[in-house]
Amino acid sequence: TVQGPKVSWKIGAWGKPRAVTEGIELLARHVKERTGGNFTITIGYGTLGGEKELLDILSRGALEMTMICSSYHPDKQPAYTVLDLPFLPLPDPATQWRVHDAIHKHPFIVKEFEKWNASLYVSSLLPQYEFVGRSSPPPRKLADWKGLRVRAIGGIGEAMRNLGAVPTSVPASEVYTLMERGTVDAVSFPSTYAHQSNKTHEIGKWYTANLSPGTQACPALINRDHWAKLPDQYKALFDEAKPKIFEALAAAYKKADDTNIPLFRRRLEFVTYSEADLAEFRKAGAQPVWDAWVKERAAQGIPAKELLDLILKTAASGGKS
Amino acid sequence: MEPVTVGLIGTALMVLLAMIGVRIAYAAALVGTVGLVILTGDVASGLTAAGTVPYAKSVNYTLSVLPMFVLIGYLAYHAGMTTTSFEAAKRWLGWLPGGMAVATIVAVAAFSAVSGASTAAAAVFARVAIPEMLKVGYHRRLAAGVVAAGSTLDSLIPPSALLVIYAIIVEQSVGKLLLAGFVPGIISAIVYSAIVVMRCRMNPELGPPIRGYSWRQRFESLPGTAPIWIVIGLIFTAMLFGWATPTEAGALGAFSTLLFAWRNRMTGQEFKSALLDTARLTVMIFTIVWGVLIFVRFLGFARLPDAISAWVSGLDVSPLVVLLLIYLIYFVLGMFMDAIGMMLLTLPIVYPIVTDLGYDPIWFGIIVVKLCGIGLLTPPVGLCAFVVNGVRPDIPVGEVFRGIVPFVVADLVTLAILTAWPELVTFIVD
Amino acid sequence: MAGHGAAADDKKPPRDAHPLLRADWHWGRLEGALNLIAAVSIFAIMVLGVLQIASRVGSAGARELWPEFPPIAIHGYIDWIEFVAVLYALLGIAYCQRLGGHIRMEIVLASIRGRARWLLELLGIALALAITLLLVHATFENFLRAWINGDSSMDIRLPQWPSKLVVPVALAVLAVRLALQLWGYARLVLWPTALPMAVPLVVTADEAARQEIAETEMRERRG
Ligand code: NA
Ligand code: NA
Repeated sequence: TVQGPKVSWKIGAWGKPRAVTEGIELLARHVKERTGGNFTITIGYGTLGGEKELLDILSRGALEMTMICSSYHPDKQPAYTVLDLPFLPLPDPATQWRVHDAIHKHPFIVKEFEKWNASLYVSSLLPQYEFVGRSSPPPRKLADWKGLRVRAIGGIGEAMRNLGAVPTSVPASEVYTLMERGTVDAVSFPSTYAHQSNKTHEIGKWYTANLSPGTQACPALINRDHWAKLPDQYKALFDEAKPKIFEALAAAYKKADDTNIPLFRRRLEFVTYSEADLAEFRKAGAQPVWDAWVKERAAQGIPAKELLDLILKTAASGGKS
Repeated sequence: MEPVTVGLIGTALMVLLAMIGVRIAYAAALVGTVGLVILTGDVASGLTAAGTVPYAKSVNYTLSVLPMFVLIGYLAYHAGMTTTSFEAAKRWLGWLPGGMAVATIVAVAAFSAVSGASTAAAAVFARVAIPEMLKVGYHRRLAAGVVAAGSTLDSLIPPSALLVIYAIIVEQSVGKLLLAGFVPGIISAIVYSAIVVMRCRMNPELGPPIRGYSWRQRFESLPGTAPIWIVIGLIFTAMLFGWATPTEAGALGAFSTLLFAWRNRMTGQEFKSALLDTARLTVMIFTIVWGVLIFVRFLGFARLPDAISAWVSGLDVSPLVVLLLIYLIYFVLGMFMDAIGMMLLTLPIVYPIVTDLGYDPIWFGIIVVKLCGIGLLTPPVGLCAFVVNGVRPDIPVGEVFRGIVPFVVADLVTLAILTAWPELVTFIVD
Repeated sequence: MAGHGAAADDKKPPRDAHPLLRADWHWGRLEGALNLIAAVSIFAIMVLGVLQIASRVGSAGARELWPEFPPIAIHGYIDWIEFVAVLYALLGIAYCQRLGGHIRMEIVLASIRGRARWLLELLGIALALAITLLLVHATFENFLRAWINGDSSMDIRLPQWPSKLVVPVALAVLAVRLALQLWGYARLVLWPTALPMAVPLVVTADEAARQEIAETEMRERRG
């Protein structure tokens, strides 16, 4: 075990313990085990702050660590929202991990989080925001999305608008009732777990198996002052935990899929798009959103093109960079 | 000092300040903020953790349903929805033993479906129903008791501010909770009516039946009640069939009530004062919400909810015993405390315990609101009893409380029914 | 427990009236205006909600007749409601305080009369003023972070600083109101039999009930 003083940290999170939070849960277990209980990290699910306030609370040091989702407050960290762009080529957890890590190390991003007195620790690897829908027939081609009322947030909503769908604001808690009645035709949620816990699979008719409309970046952050005060031997534990966190997250999502996908298969038609279709989606739906993002953010002095290119290059490198 | 100890001391201090009359929102926010400064060991840290709350907890789409519900209640008076419903219920149900009291319950239940505040219902029906009951020889204790008890239906039958606040605290669907309140509200009304009929059959002196309304007169009383049914119908179909979120359904309800109020010759000045009153009541609700939530965040930093949950799950008793113990705690707190404050303070601790025991979140919301309703009736602080006594100073408040006793018993019966058959609550949302 | 109270007097005091009385009246006008803005925001939420349903149901109906009819939805509806929410949630807070409208437990207070009662009221207001000043500072910092570092809503990226700025402003107005009430109660502690000024009338639970009734009766008469 690692010797050291008694230290107790807090991580802000929200919702319930679930696949997304498996990373911070693992970190808490890891540091406790390795220090013989001297270094403990408590995770507060909504008890230490709401999802939109946690970055503020972290910045003044009330918390040592927190999870955030950048899409909940895009302009708190405008450059970082590059990871929230729709239809980025992040087909699997390993690619996503590599891409997020590269962005986390980019000097501009590091500086952006310094404004909040925070440094990026790890990604939470959210899966693609696939749709469950109720419209009939299912949107098997790009043109079929025209006129569908979809619940999709941020950049995904923008991309769907470019495809002719109508993004509609609906709080997650009311999704079930509104979809049941056809007030919304399709709903995008992160992970099969989120679909399952909002019961969309019970009233939906189809599921987009490989649309990959995009995902969100929900990293874990560390307050820089608290980090500076942490004994070096404890700091080393954070690096040690990183690969384990990746494995734990990937395993947690796989486990959720392993229970949910068969469940979905029994009730939903799986809509699978060909490579050509997906290329078309990207061209018609995503490219304008990317272009607009680059234009807007570049005007703010952000190396927007460079960040987007970094994502595309890292994703294409297949792990050999 | 251990964080949990700080949390316990803070709780005691907060209760003390509230008892000596410091307004709850300020007492909670003050103890919470100071507590956060102590726990984080840094003034800037603690102030930030507290200072994000007022904005973050007010600016919430789901909570925007509250002003809509409050507005409906204020406009319902102007639309004349109270007297017509009682007149109709009287003509149809007066022949029963204690029939006028049963009619009161039915009329309050109908009014509850357009109003969100029990005190309003108590004030209106004390004026409308008590004189009529006394005129035909009802015992004043029964007359006062049935109005006070009936008015608590208002918090159960949607729209209900209490159910919305529960939904927000525990992050459940507002729409589902509101729909779920409907059947238990009806069950409560039926149990109340059954108690009235039973007691009046055994002792006809208490509430003699009235007869003599022709079928023609009965049917003639119905068209006047149309506005109330139309508004209820709009709110319900909009939510039940998923055409609208609760806020949108509330907006539709407020808008339609406004049209009826206009038809009923409400003046522009009256509309303005209804809006201003709505704003005042709304800001009161939001202030106590964020004030208490600062305190709750302090409890979170003190890890008190975790500590209590761990303690309860370590107890070697059956889930039902824990549940009944929680009922008892709410019953006692409800004797002294305001319903909103009680829910905000207790739910962050009680809710995880209850759901960990495997009980349904929606169902528990209905139970908590039912317990809050009982709190409106029990001495020493039973707001609905005070309101009835205020309208009828000739009926001493002690008499009102005595008149309420059978209905509190009825409420306990209802609680037992809902606990034994939770599906009575959940079937409508599943 | 009561959410009721009453302001001492709503008539404009003459020029030679006690300065506290005049300050109370003038500040009350400002509070009334802010509460009116809150009321208008509630009306706006109602209108937006009805429009949202109308556009949704209307366009669905139109699609039955003409399938090419595009579905309509108010763009960023939730973001707009949340942008407005701070107005009804906070702007009227001082108005409500002037009327003694914030909830409290009055069991102990109701049983005390004279100087002891005024002392207790004074203590309550002093604590309220303390927390309000702390929160003016903390919520202003919350605004500053949004102003300097940036912040926006989730869907249509409305800037958040304007609505975050409303919070410290509303609380500052409340702080002034509390200071006036502090003055009012301090007078009564010194001269317990003096005419109360700039404090909510003493309202016990049953007085509150009576007031609820008076309000109702007024409406019934009009209705
Ligand atoms: Na109601
Ligand atoms: Na009580």
